Amino acid sequence: MIEARDLAKRFNGVEAVRHVSFAAADGAITGLLGPNGAGKTTTLRMISTLVAPTQGSARVDGIETTADPIGVRARIGMLSDARGLYARLTARENIAYYGALRGLTHEQIEASVARLARMLDMESLLDRRTDGFSQGEKMKVAIARTLVHDPPNVLLDEPSNGLDVMTTRNLREVIRQLREAGKCVLFSSHVMQEVSALCDTIVIVARGAVVASGTAADLLTASGCDNLEDAFVHLTGEEDAA
Amino acid sequence: MRSPLSIVYLKELRDALRDRRTAIMVLVASLLTGPVTFILVAQFVSGLEEKASTLKVRMVGQQNAPALVNFLRRGDVEIEDAPADYEARIKEGRLDAVIVVPRDFDEKYLSGEGAKVDIVYDDSRTESSPAIRQAERLLRGFNRETGMLRMMARGVSPDLTEPVKVQHVNTATPRQKGAVLLFLVSMFAIISPLLGGMTIAIDSTAGERERGSLEPLLANPVPIRQVVIGKWLAAWTFASGVAVLTLGGFALAAAFYSGKRLAAMMAFGAPEFVLFVLIIVPFAAMTSAMQMLICTYGRTYREAQTYVSYLATVVSFVPLIVMFSGLKDAFWQLVVPVLGQQMALSRVARGDEFTLVDWAVPSVIAIALAIAGVALVARLLRDERIVFGRS
Repeated sequence: MIEARDLAKRFNGVEAVRHVSFAAADGAITGLLGPNGAGKTTTLRMISTLVAPTQGSARVDGIETTADPIGVRARIGMLSDARGLYARLTARENIAYYGALRGLTHEQIEASVARLARMLDMESLLDRRTDGFSQGEKMKVAIARTLVHDPPNVLLDEPSNGLDVMTTRNLREVIRQLREAGKCVLFSSHVMQEVSALCDTIVIVARGAVVASGTAADLLTASGCDNLEDAFVHLTGEEDAA
Repeated sequence: MRSPLSIVYLKELRDALRDRRTAIMVLVASLLTGPVTFILVAQFVSGLEEKASTLKVRMVGQQNAPALVNFLRRGDVEIEDAPADYEARIKEGRLDAVIVVPRDFDEKYLSGEGAKVDIVYDDSRTESSPAIRQAERLLRGFNRETGMLRMMARGVSPDLTEPVKVQHVNTATPRQKGAVLLFLVSMFAIISPLLGGMTIAIDSTAGERERGSLEPLLANPVPIRQVVIGKWLAAWTFASGVAVLTLGGFALAAAFYSGKRLAAMMAFGAPEFVLFVLIIVPFAAMTSAMQMLICTYGRTYREAQTYVSYLATVVSFVPLIVMFSGLKDAFWQLVVPVLGQQMALSRVARGDEFTLVDWAVPSVIAIALAIAGVALVARLLRDERIVFGRS
């Protein structure tokens, strides 16, 4: 369960995020949709405690991010825009490092790696060093690393960036599985089709503020458009620019 | 459950050791530094001594100066005819000095007109200076003897021309002479932790940022300070390891030379080794922390490497400045990082009195700076501008 209340962030006088409020429920997929530079990444960083908000607050499973950042991090798996791996370590070691940092025992890590390898279809990759991995293979390791402690809340920042069609399809499958498992999944994207195909709730962000939110049907009603693409363009106010 | 600190520490060590080629190169290079330096310096020093100890001169036209030849033979000096192309050979460095006697020498010598000889040499070659000085000394000896004999023949006391008799009493112990070599040992002792800690310091800061693993690492539910301390301990371990290996190489080389004539000069045995390690290990804590601190500002591995090499240059200049400025040991130096270690090391090397204060003052300051450096790195990594600002 993730709640953001009037989050705002200013960097050197520039307002990256102005008014962001939304709630992401457990067992549901919530999509942050918005053009590049709308403030999606900064919002996710504030929720994952990497960036302190200048205003407003965020709560994860009822815990304030500013009050107990470590408690919040323990309840989150965050796949950030930066997903670098340690090239000299094997896939298994990369995943295990994060498992250990999150307090798992050796046995728990082994079990978790086996479960995630099956889910992501990456058993054959586990004991290879990651330096020769393709984008898709690296992505699988990064996702496994994010989920190693079986977090109740999963944050994914533009997860399909740079991935081919097959890998993107697999990724969607994984995200759906997370929902089936009752997780709160929050992911950001600038691709409308992706969000509409996956999300139960869509939060549209433009110029640092939430301009609309709800199900796909809600958004169509709110915008008065008959397809989502038009609704998106209308709601983000990108018409003038286009 | 293991502490995050030890998890990070072990991961960084494993990661660094996985880079086999670099690791092996660093280990072999540090082990070899000592023996190679020793061999080169020892060859040079013993070469000098050998050249000076056997009395030997090369002459052109010995037949022109029977009196000089007679004087030299009485002094057990070996006389050798110089080859015809002696000038060329001197230029090439194959001959050190040649005494050239002109044809009319004997005639002028006997008539007391002031006979002349030339010493031909090339003083741009330091290794030939003992031979040059030896030739000069022998000729001066011949002059003095002839002069004295001539004065006595005229009833004048030779003491008149030599009111002061100069005798050389050299107080330098062989060990102090060897301090030149031991200066090199302390220089390597100071530089080696910088080389050893470099890889981990760069890789665990600017490297993490460049490959995009810093942000996910910081998103783990672990206090940043613990992560930073783990990384620093790993860098310190490597820095100390390389320093110990380098010094071990020197100790081995010194043990190998201990049977030789240079034994006393090369006193770098177990006690010196242990003291050097005791001085360098706290120093390595400081250099590793400083390397990490400056690397945290680096956006890329390359950039951080440049910063680190500046630091290494600055640090390695300190021993040189001390040597060339002829700085005398004083308490204030103990307080200055690097200078303090340099002074402590050279006191041990020279066999001077080495007290607990000489060790404790620079070491406590080094550890304090290391802690401050680590705290600063942790603070920087909490700063959004450092983590995200310039990526």
